[in-house]
Order: sequence, then structure tokens, then C-alpha cells
Amino acid sequence: MIPKQLEKILLDVQKPSQYIGGELNSVIKNREEVDIRLAFCFPDKYEVGMSHLGMKILYSLYNSRPNWWCERVFAPDADMEQKMRENNIALYGLESLDPITNFDFILFTLQYEMSYTAILNMLDLAGLPVRSKDRKGLWPIVAAGGPCACNPEPIADFIDLFFLGEGEEVNVEVTELYETAKKEGWSKEKFLLEASHIEGVYVPSLYEVSYNEDGTIKAYTPVEASVPATIQKRIIKDLDSVFYPESFVVPFTSIVHDRSQLEIQRGCLRGCRFCQAGFIYRPLRDKSHTILDCNAKALCQSTGYDEISLTSLSTSDYDQLGDLLDDMLPWTVEQKINMSLPSLRVDNFSEELMKKISKVRKSGLTFAAEAGTQRLRDVINKNVYEDEVMETCKTAFEGGYTSVKLYFMMGLPTETMEDIKGIADLAQKVVDLFYSLPNKPKGKGVQVSISCACFVPKPFTPFQFEPQDTMDMLHEKQKYLMSCVKSKKISVSYHDADTSYIEAVLARGDRRLADAIELCWQKGSKLDGWDEYFDPQRWYDSFAEAGLDGAFYANRLRSYEEVNPWDHLDYCVSKNFLIRENRIAKEENRTTPHCRQQCSGCGANKLVGGKCFA
Amino acid sequence: MRKIRVFFTKLGRAKYISHLDSNRCWQRSIKRSGLPVWYTEGFNPHMYLTFPLPLSLGYESKYECVDMKLMEDLSDAEVVQRLNDALPLDIRVFACAEPVMDQKEIAWADYDIFLSCDNAAALSEELSAYFAQEQILVQKKTKKGSKEVDLKPHFSVLKQEVEEEGIALTLRCTTGIEVNINPSLLLENFSGIDKVETTSTCRTMVYTAKLEQFK
Ligand code: SF4
Repeated sequence: MIPKQLEKILLDVQKPSQYIGGELNSVIKNREEVDIRLAFCFPDKYEVGMSHLGMKILYSLYNSRPNWWCERVFAPDADMEQKMRENNIALYGLESLDPITNFDFILFTLQYEMSYTAILNMLDLAGLPVRSKDRKGLWPIVAAGGPCACNPEPIADFIDLFFLGEGEEVNVEVTELYETAKKEGWSKEKFLLEASHIEGVYVPSLYEVSYNEDGTIKAYTPVEASVPATIQKRIIKDLDSVFYPESFVVPFTSIVHDRSQLEIQRGCLRGCRFCQAGFIYRPLRDKSHTILDCNAKALCQSTGYDEISLTSLSTSDYDQLGDLLDDMLPWTVEQKINMSLPSLRVDNFSEELMKKISKVRKSGLTFAAEAGTQRLRDVINKNVYEDEVMETCKTAFEGGYTSVKLYFMMGLPTETMEDIKGIADLAQKVVDLFYSLPNKPKGKGVQVSISCACFVPKPFTPFQFEPQDTMDMLHEKQKYLMSCVKSKKISVSYHDADTSYIEAVLARGDRRLADAIELCWQKGSKLDGWDEYFDPQRWYDSFAEAGLDGAFYANRLRSYEEVNPWDHLDYCVSKNFLIRENRIAKEENRTTPHCRQQCSGCGANKLVGGKCFA
Repeated sequence: MRKIRVFFTKLGRAKYISHLDSNRCWQRSIKRSGLPVWYTEGFNPHMYLTFPLPLSLGYESKYECVDMKLMEDLSDAEVVQRLNDALPLDIRVFACAEPVMDQKEIAWADYDIFLSCDNAAALSEELSAYFAQEQILVQKKTKKGSKEVDLKPHFSVLKQEVEEEGIALTLRCTTGIEVNINPSLLLENFSGIDKVETTSTCRTMVYTAKLEQFK
């Protein structure tokens, strides 16, 4: 039964099917027969959240327990939120349509910093106090995980507990503990204390933070002897035996990634020094092609999707790619299913593999060069060389391609105007290459687009110590880049510097940011990933009102000795390793070999016991 | 190859699926079911499916249909079974058969409508007066803008009863590929509509011009 209140508003909002559940493969259980109710919340719109693989995995995993019922919840769009508030409709789960206010767990996934205010807004829409300390009862426990949990301090006052690392085991262990807690009538405090003993669980309220006079952190101190001083992240050692969903919920309305997804590996061996994902998911683990082929068949069968994408951080580093394509090509072709391979690098392909790939790959030509000169590419450890780019473009142009997309970052450590000019030069060389080819596509021009993001220093990367360029510097560099571009065949787009600055503050922020985040939400921030809802001024006003200086977090060079807000969290890349990498980058402009070539001793091998690669 | 017509209901949550999304949902469900349906030929082959009568967003229906072609001979019962295993719960197939009539022959449809409101008796009288007018002129949106139409010849009231929580109506409206009159169009122009809290609408049957059940 659809609640009457909901019926009343659904036809007055855009795309009502995103608010009503009932999709293929959504899991419906009998309320009377379940003991634990969980709300898996994605702090963004349905079309974004429904595309997210991690949510699909955990949703299926939780629901594989007969007495647990996990439902999906997304941030309503502005029109829906207004109707909900006017009609006193609390945020509800899409499966039961029940308000999530009294669920046992409210789980958030932290994919990007800009979604933090959406979390507060969703808690509020659920009729709950946003601060952890104001939610007194055992339930709901508000927990969060995902990449941003590697520095969760800015939202530590709102969340009861964080999952560090991969969730397939730890989330289950915590829920099992909670079952006991509920049966035995524990207090919230007792539950959180017990939970903190589980590896991979971080309960922020169990740590006191002290500060130095200059505003930096002095220490994190556990409030009780039994609480661990550092918390190590969790990983899944063997991807072949870990749970993988046999079905995905298939939405009615279209979403960003509307297809089956196959996770072929976790982690990345490259170590690009700006890339957080490249460090926090270490070490690299492959899944074997035969199991992937089975997973793929099950997914296509249960969803009816006509597209499947292979996901990973760097698909071309997957050793068994050739085998996997051999397994999958025959039946996908027969069943008219398209395969897509994002995250392909240009360098390490054999010709034979290239042939197989060209059978399935139709998308445009893109290169993540990240920096304009070889010197700077060496600094950031991005092993892309100009001749490779040229060689691949040449083949592609001769094969009929006429447009290329080049991705760069601006504001990287040690960057000079020379490097900015290098961006335009590289694009120009691609244009010149096109016109120099005797067998270029006839009657067509070439289109090279430069897309330029602003560098955001992130925790657990060798650049975690680095200041972000000030906004003035970024604007100046953007202007200079425009002046260097001479050809009409080149187009330039860049990311908004305000967003990157706010991201930089939040990414390396500490607990004192909670007030600013709450203020910003109160001023109306709730879907800041969307241009039409984002207003940087709200953030600047909130920082000021909370008495905080954003530049302290974003634009300050941090000494190696400084205690960072995430230093008590152990992601198994040691600080010494990060310092070493930072030095090699800045002082020697030297690259570091990737993990299969040579182990550089980051520390992640302790998670697998022994060596990462046999 | 055999042409079949599949009859189904679209109730509950499914009423919020737009026609476009519903089409995609059918494509995927058929793919899941593994039914050997025919694909159009050409550069970009797609599944051949035709829905004679789009259902408005927000309407339920007990009598919807879709036409497709089967490449292998399967019993009607098996088609029904396999589709039901693959479709979302709020879309249920209840029959499958060789098409008897042409889609173009559709002329009428019946709708059960419930208008929930306070003081249903008074509102029902107002409504009767509205229905009884000589002419009911409304603006109807068309592809080229809007034009004025008289709804009077396009509907009849089969039932109008006052209940505790509102008014229960059954309307028969002109339906088809050429002219299609939604009951909402008729009700939107009723001056008392503001007093109605919610309207629920369910298509219950579809007929030809001779009022034969569309098969
Ligand atoms: S321990 Fe060595 S091989 Fe393993 S992830 Fe770290 S650097 Fe790579």
C-alpha cells in the first residue's frame, strides 16, 4: 500500500518513479519477519546513487540475511523535498515506504566531500537530530563508510561510527553485534564501545582531540583504555570468494550508469601521487576471469541490461583482460549485449589485445595526461609520455577518429607557468599531427578539447602535505592557459575553482568544521554537487561565522611532523612512505616504479601477509 | 514467426512509471525472460514492441496490452509464465493470444475514478450539473498548441455514487490513436475540482466502436 500522503504529492513532482520503489529486483520483505531494518542512504539524487556499485553490493549482501532488511534511500530533489516538508512526510525507504526514523541503522556512503550537507539534510528530513550526541537511543545508529571515511573528522560530530576500508565483512560484523545489543537492551554508549573493538570501526566520540596554540592538532586520545589508539582499515583479501550480487535493482527512470557493472579488480598499482584512490585501496587485488564471467552472466540474466561495463581504477593493469574478453565476447555478442571498458591506459597493450578491445570499444579517445610537461608528469608520477599520446592519436586519426579529449590538472605541486603553457602546447601538437597525416579523415577538421580540473590535495597521498593554490593563483593560471591556446581547433573547459577550494578544506579538515557544515546546511546547502543548487558564498559565510579560516586547511604547507586529523587512522600506507614519495617528487622530480615492477614499501603488504605480488 | 498480444495490469506503484520508462522496463523484462522475440533489422536493431494505448502517468489499469512477435513457437501459457517471472511485481500479465482486432479499432475505454473529498454529496451534485451541460468546451493540448473541443460527445457517465470518503465514478471516454480523451481533461475543467483531495483513476476496459471488448 502506498501511503495516502505520498499519493497526494507524487504527481506534482518530476520523475515520480524515483520516489516509489517497486523496481525490478528490489527486495521486499515482511516487516513482521525481520529483526533489523537498515536504510542505505546515498547523499545525492537517485540518478547518481543508483549508479553506484558499492551500494548495490552492500544492499544485496545485507538482504541475503533473511532477518535483515536493507532499503535504499536517496536525497530528494528540491521539488520533492518541498512537498515532503509541506506535508510532513518523513524520509522513507523505497522498499517499504516506511519512515526511516526508527530504523536500526542509517548508513551513508561518503563518495565526495561536497555531499556532506546532503547527509545533514537527510537526517533532518528523517526527523532526527543531526548531531550524534543528541540522538540518545540505541537506534538508529548512524554509520558511514566509503572513500571519504579516510578523513571523516569534519563530519565526526554527526555520525556515530565509521567503517574504514572495504565493507563486505565489517558491516556484517557490526550488524551482528547490534543484534545482540538490541536483544540484551544495551545503551547506545555500550554498543559503540563494543563496536570500537571490531577492526575497521572508528567511533569518533571515543577520542578526544587537543590542539596546539597555532591551531594544529596536538593529539588524539582515546577516552578509555580499551579503545584502540589507531584504527586499521579492512580489506577483502580474496576477491574470488567474496560476495558479489547476482542481481542489481533496475530502475524505471534513466540514471547515470544504467548498466551492469563488473568489478574486475580492487586497488591500483600505479601510485599517481595526486590520486587518493590509488593509495587508500591498496594493495591491488585481481579477481579471476572465470569467476567474473560467471558473475557477468548472472547479472545480465537477472537485470536484462544490454550493456555491461568492466570497472576498476586502471583496466589495462588487469592481467587477465585478454582471457576475460575471450570468455565474454561470444555470449555477449550473441545476446546483443555491449561491453564497455572505462579506465583504459594507452601504454601497455599488445597488438593482439588491442584488436580484441577494438571489437568492444566504441567510445571516444581520451587521455588523462594530467600535466602539460614531462617534468611535471614525473613529479606526479603519471607515467604518460608524449610519444605515446602522439602514437595512439596517429593510429586513431588514421582509423577515422577526429576528436580527442585531454584531461589535465592545474595547481599541482612545483607547477610553473611553463607547465601551464605545456598543456596548450600538447594540444597544439595533436592538432598539428592531424594535419600532417597524408591519410587523415577526408573533409573533416580535428577537435581537441582540454578539460582542466583544479588539484585538490587529499589525505593518504604523497601530496597530503601540500598547499592548494589560492583561488587567485588558479584564476591567473586559467587566464594564462587561455592566452596560450592559439588554434580554433582547441577548446578549453575548466572546473570551477570555488568547488575545488571547498573540497580542499573539507578533505583535510578536522572536527572544528562541524559548525561550519551545519551552518551551511542551515543556509540552504543540500545538493552541492549540482551547479543549480551550489552557492560558494554560503560556504564562505559559514566558515566566517564559525570563526574558521579556510586557508588554514586548504592553502597551508603542512610539516611532515604535524599531526594530521587522519593520522590515527591506518590505511596501511605509512606516513614514512608518503614523506619519502613527497621528497622524491619535489626534490628529485623522479618517478617511482609501479608495484609489479618493484615494491616501494608502502606498508599495504601487511594486509595480505607477505608480498603483494608473488 | 507469430504475432502475439500480451494483456497485463499496471497497478499500485507501477502507475508512477511513465510511458517511456514503461517501454524500457518491458524491453528489459523480455530480455530477462529469455523469450525469443523478434528484433527489427538494420543498423541498430531493437526489440519490436508496440503499445496501442499509452497510459497517462498516475493512472492504474486492469487492461493494458502490448504486441510483439515470437520467433519460436511457445504456448501462450508459457509466455505468460515467463513474463510474470521477469516483470516487476506491479505489472502482471494475465493473458496472451493471437491479436483479433487491429489496434486502430480501439474507440472507447472505461475508467473507474475515485474523487476523495469532504462533503461528497454536495460535490456530487455540482458534478452532475457540470456533466449535464449542453456543451463542455475545454482547451485540449495538441502537437501544434491547443485547440478548443467539446467533450460532451466524448464521454458518458456509467456510474456516479456518493460514498463516505468521496465520489465513485465510472466514465466511458473516447479513446484511440486519432482522438484520445483522458478523464483528467474532463475533470480538470470542473469548477469543484479544488475541493477534491486526491483523484485515483484506473482504466478497466478497452472497446471497439461497436463496444466489443478489444482483443
Ligand atoms: S607494499 Fe609494495 S607492492 Fe604492496 S602496495 Fe605497497 S608498494 Fe605496492
